[in-house]
Amino acid sequence: MMHHLDGGGNASSHPDLGLLFDLSPLPSLLLSPAWRITRASARFLDEWHLSTEDCVGQELLAFVQQQLSPSPIHLKFLTTAIDDAIAARAERTSMPMNTKRSVAWRARVIPFFKGDELLAIATEWQEGPLSELNLLKDEEVQPGLSTDEAFRILVQAVKDYAIFLLDTTGRIATWNTGAELLKGYRRDEIVGKHFSVFYGKEDLASKKPEMELEICMRDGRVEDEGWRYRKDGSRFWANVVITAVYKDGVHVGFGKVTRDLTERKSAESRLIAAYEESEKLKSDFLANMSHEIRTPMHGMLSACALLLDTTLSPRQRDIVGIMDESGQVLLQVINDILDYSKLASGSFSIHSDIVGITSIVTLVVRSVQTTLPPSVHFELFLAPDLPRSVQGDPLRYRQILHNIVGNAAKFTEKGSIRVRAGVQREDHDSYVVMTEVTDTGIGIPEAAAAGLFTPFTQFDATTTKQYKGTGLGLSIAKSLAELMGGSIGYRPNPERHGSIFWFTARFKKIKSLEQIQDWKSKLIRKGDAILALPEADVVKLRQELAEVAPIKSLLLVEDNVINQTVMLVMLRSLGFKNTALASNGSEAVNMVRSKPAAYDIVLMDINMPIMDGHQASRAIRDVGIQVPIVAMTAYALKGDRERCLEHGMNDYIPKPVDKKYLIKVLGKWLLHMKDYRKAFDEQMNKLRGYEALTLGPKGHVAERLQQLSLSIQNEGEGKRSASGLPDVSDKSAEDVRALEPHGTQSSDDTIVGVHPTPLIEHHQTSSVVSSPRFEPLLPPVQLELLDSSLGMGITATDMITIPPAQGSHTSAEAADSGGDTGTSANGTTATTPLDPPFDSNHGAADVIHGDDSTLQP
Amino acid sequence: MPDFGDHVDNGIFSQILEMDESDHDRDFSEPLVFNFFEQAQETFVKMDAALAARDLNELSTLGHFLKGSSATLGFNKIRDSCQVVQQYGHKLTVDGVSEPDDNVCLKKIAEALQTAKVDTAELEKKMRKFFGAE
Repeated sequence: MMHHLDGGGNASSHPDLGLLFDLSPLPSLLLSPAWRITRASARFLDEWHLSTEDCVGQELLAFVQQQLSPSPIHLKFLTTAIDDAIAARAERTSMPMNTKRSVAWRARVIPFFKGDELLAIATEWQEGPLSELNLLKDEEVQPGLSTDEAFRILVQAVKDYAIFLLDTTGRIATWNTGAELLKGYRRDEIVGKHFSVFYGKEDLASKKPEMELEICMRDGRVEDEGWRYRKDGSRFWANVVITAVYKDGVHVGFGKVTRDLTERKSAESRLIAAYEESEKLKSDFLANMSHEIRTPMHGMLSACALLLDTTLSPRQRDIVGIMDESGQVLLQVINDILDYSKLASGSFSIHSDIVGITSIVTLVVRSVQTTLPPSVHFELFLAPDLPRSVQGDPLRYRQILHNIVGNAAKFTEKGSIRVRAGVQREDHDSYVVMTEVTDTGIGIPEAAAAGLFTPFTQFDATTTKQYKGTGLGLSIAKSLAELMGGSIGYRPNPERHGSIFWFTARFKKIKSLEQIQDWKSKLIRKGDAILALPEADVVKLRQELAEVAPIKSLLLVEDNVINQTVMLVMLRSLGFKNTALASNGSEAVNMVRSKPAAYDIVLMDINMPIMDGHQASRAIRDVGIQVPIVAMTAYALKGDRERCLEHGMNDYIPKPVDKKYLIKVLGKWLLHMKDYRKAFDEQMNKLRGYEALTLGPKGHVAERLQQLSLSIQNEGEGKRSASGLPDVSDKSAEDVRALEPHGTQSSDDTIVGVHPTPLIEHHQTSSVVSSPRFEPLLPPVQLELLDSSLGMGITATDMITIPPAQGSHTSAEAADSGGDTGTSANGTTATTPLDPPFDSNHGAADVIHGDDSTLQP
Repeated sequence: MPDFGDHVDNGIFSQILEMDESDHDRDFSEPLVFNFFEQAQETFVKMDAALAARDLNELSTLGHFLKGSSATLGFNKIRDSCQVVQQYGHKLTVDGVSEPDDNVCLKKIAEALQTAKVDTAELEKKMRKFFGAE
């Protein structure tokens, strides 16, 4: 039509254009360039209920204003559309102008140009519903697309979100494609229903939908995540945002946008599950590793310790010593790798023990030496000022040294490895010991030297294949050296190709013999072999225990009456009838002090009111009573056992008390350790001999002796009255032997001394020396096994020959280096390289060894 | 041995039951178990008081105390809650990490105490049934 008008040159051959305009099916107005109405179509007049006279000649805007009474903004829609159409010389459609008659009109505007001259403007009017999105009326919208339409299309087309409107009561008013896809309802099924149909039973029961609307009214908006249900009953994890919608300040309903987060939710829970699983696997793995590796290691080490107690040739003893040493180090390394995270987090602990630096260095060198080819020789320099015994952590020191010496051996094919140890600095309380290892091996490239102490690095990838290792060694050594108050370092060997690794460690000085004595009691671990006994042997051990139980007297220290009851009944079931009770540490101390020899063993709870187990044990030890004290505690952390031992206790039973474990521990202390009271007798005999020598010049010695005498007297009474046990020194060895299960001879003949003594410097002449410790008797079963499988008879006494300690070690240091005692099957006494704090008295030795018998309490 | 679920470590509890003269005569274990419940109730009362007084030390001591006896009887759930009370009483998490905030500690303890009470009540019911039935 427009083209016809446009090509008006031959209009005469066509019907009258004015007539055509009049007959247009669209309500139309023709305007002059000045926007004055020049013509109105019949359809327009009909629809607007007007006559031609009402329209023609009217200015358009005034006319529309008069007819429709639109708001000024809506009237502007019209002017904008006309202006745009003229400017673009193209058709434009105005946005709808709402009228008071609940309809909206929009105008399609078509400008007519001849050249640059505007001839006329045609407008066509379309009626439509009221525009809903009034809020958006000020926004610019793409020409030709009303805001209403644009948003309707947008909302309708969105598939990933369910977007719909609710009326003020929560009934669904609109529905988009996303909603249909997500929730499964078609528009006609759902419009008019209440939105609570999407919620599950629980949410409905808790009135969640209503609450959400309430919150939304209050806060303007509410967001929620939770399960929502589809038409088919299946559920999805939804994120829902509800917004209150207002029109002209009046609340008209709610906008609701729902997203399906099921995928994200399940991905999240999969991630969490995977994480938890891996954490659990990791800790399970570590726990298993720890248990599975340590158990056989302990078995092996126990066997080694037992083997060392048998008669061995010097060469055999060397070999077993190396097995033992390597096993200890391996165990330590395993522990370290398991504890690596601890090291990283700084919660690694350093223990305090006696350290015999010379013996550690010697042993490490000897253990590494065996792995070397003949082309490499060791040089060992121990400075003369090196203290024999210091206080520190022997295992950690040994571990660092072993690592460095081991590395040197690994990377050196010929030449020498030199180990040098000496005091670098000394002050009032401590030594700083410098240990240096020089090799003539492959050396370290300069570039790699910086990363030597970084975890998991090895200086050359190619060497990894040739030289095995975890790459952890030096970094652990570094951490350990730092923990020991020292440092570690590397420099090239200045003399020839090779490396020098050095480290320092600070050790405290040992100030008194008593200090040594304190530690000695905890160095006794040999009896631990019994703790690894298999099931069948526990049954046997229980029988053995039942035989001696009636004459044993126990003290149970426990504050919780439930635990008291259970322990008493458990002990009774094992045959122990004489069990005294104390309900706190203070009571226990009083009981033990008043009868220093009455109890064969004390079972001590740790955490108690008034006085705890640690304090009580110290108080008992402080007066010189060496009754075995076994801690019972529900602490299960690593180091608890050590803490108990540090406080003077001898052993440890975890709670809740396992009967089998209890049997093992009681068996160890009541069957396999020498009676502490016997030790008193021996010591007294010795002391009586020395009284003349020692009394007098040193006050504290005299005091000590007096105290000892007192305990001995008490002990005598206690023993006879409390247990009825014959005094072992009364030559009643026949009776005692009856208690020995196999009647085999004991390998143990060392004299047990438990008291610190100031006599060490005065009496070193006797050929009989003693180890001032409890010594375990070998369990007969294991002895036989060793005997037959290794073909070693238990015959002669053997001297151990580990240099350089001969005759000059302190006893504690020797314990550190293996602590061997000889065996005696033929009545001779064994010799150990240990210095005797007591020179044993011949009389006492005779009592013990005179008839070849085993001594049993 | 009935199934007490994860309330009870069967190994430890059967060790207690074995101390009876016979399976028909639970002269030892029955009073022991019910003594425990009395002890637990008394301890809970003390814990409530300590909680009100915000006395973490006391809570830790009480936690350890009841942990000891519940562990001896193999009552693991109660034991675990007591462990929580003990740890937070020391201002430590269950993993031994320091927890400096008193309020957090008290809140954790209050929760654990509540759990312990519920578990104890539940277990007591089970135990009454167990000993009653025999």
